[in-house]
Amino acid sequence: MEKRYITVSTLNRYLKNKLDTDPNLGRVSLKGEISNFKGHTRGHLYFTLKDETSRISAVMFQFNASKLSFKPEDGMTVLVEGKISIYEATGAYQIYVENMEEDGLGNLYLKYEELKKRLAAQGLFNEEHKKPLPKFPEKIGIITAPTGAAVKDILSTIKRRYPICETYLFPCLVQGELAKDDIVKQIIEANNHDLDVLIVGRGGGSIEDLWAFNEEVVAEAIFNSKIPIISAVGHEIDFTIADFVADLRAPTPTGAAEIAVPNIADLNVLISQYKIRTTNLIGHLLKNQKTRLNNLKNSYVLKSPLAVYEQKEQKLSNLVNTLNSIIQNNLQLKINKYTYITESYIINNPESLFINNQNKYNLILNKLELLNPISILSKGYSVVKFENRIIKNIENIKIGDVVNIKLHQGEIKAKVEKVG
Amino acid sequence: MEKKKFDELMTDLEKIVKELEQGDIDLEVSIEKYTEAMKLVKACGDKLGSALESVNKIRTENGDFIDFKTEDNQ
Repeated sequence: MEKRYITVSTLNRYLKNKLDTDPNLGRVSLKGEISNFKGHTRGHLYFTLKDETSRISAVMFQFNASKLSFKPEDGMTVLVEGKISIYEATGAYQIYVENMEEDGLGNLYLKYEELKKRLAAQGLFNEEHKKPLPKFPEKIGIITAPTGAAVKDILSTIKRRYPICETYLFPCLVQGELAKDDIVKQIIEANNHDLDVLIVGRGGGSIEDLWAFNEEVVAEAIFNSKIPIISAVGHEIDFTIADFVADLRAPTPTGAAEIAVPNIADLNVLISQYKIRTTNLIGHLLKNQKTRLNNLKNSYVLKSPLAVYEQKEQKLSNLVNTLNSIIQNNLQLKINKYTYITESYIINNPESLFINNQNKYNLILNKLELLNPISILSKGYSVVKFENRIIKNIENIKIGDVVNIKLHQGEIKAKVEKVG
Repeated sequence: MEKKKFDELMTDLEKIVKELEQGDIDLEVSIEKYTEAMKLVKACGDKLGSALESVNKIRTENGDFIDFKTEDNQ
């Protein structure tokens, strides 16, 4: 059986495939010291990672290397993450580094996270502790290094935007072991002065450079400041504990100055707007009042004051007329009644009452006279009675009855001889 | 008015503008307010215009404040 020979490339490709598919080698976290460091002109980094007894080649390509926040160099202990693979051309296996940090920083991050968590729990970052910033500060305290970009940026920005305010620099160290106490001292000192706002910060740098602003004593000093504090540490991407506890975080020192003071040009515009607005407003107001006055002037009453009088006068006349006619009517009624009475027959001929009565009396008297039976007898009539009753017919009268005949003068007793 | 701080002047001015904008205000009062507003406008403008040489001080070790200039604007 003939031996089969494979090519070197086949072997290397086979091994590379083995490594690339290995679950453990796809993502390796490795600690080591840098040696043989070479920065390629195209931005790739080539170096060796080693410990006391062993070494491995490492490559970090430009797109990862560009994100580094420090400059790697020989002798530096670093923490890297990446995958293990083989470069087929040389057959050398190496680590392809994606992230790299300086060793020791890991501890700093832990400390940072721990302190942030603790201070947050204590409420130091709470919104209710945030002091409002003055709109128009007249005196600004600046706590930073007297040299370097930060103080320059702050002062030039303030001068450009709001030259009428005064600045007071409280110089301090902003990095190194002594920085934290210096910053604290100057924050306390600044609080002894009549300042409207404080800017505390520094320019950009590595996490160690900015570390003073992650110290608890600095956080406490910022928290205890009576004067509102704007923090301005490093670049926009850098967040320090000081930023969380400050009344306001500015992304950069320049940003802090922009937040601290208004722009005088904007203010001039605002003031002229106020001027225009008030002038317009008072103009409107005067115009409105003028219109109101004109409306009043043109009102019926003021334009023809007599009209009102005339109306009242007319009403009064009407009333008087009505009153007169009522009185007149009333009077006429009385007059009529009086006339009726005075012109009545009785009043004018009172004797008629008497005559009437006399006539009546005479009439009655005559009637009485006519009715008097005696007067009838005087005319020749007589009354026949039988057994004391007046006889009006022949009933009950028999021949031989004796009747009494009463004459006008005297009586006759007579015997009935014939009846019927 | 001269002694008032810029902040107070601006606050007063804003207040008057708001009051005038509310409208239900007496004519005499509004004219007074307007006069006051014009004074404030002038005072504010004066304050902003009074930009003398800007005052930048630095606190020295012994606690004094002396003039301060950054390296490149000396």
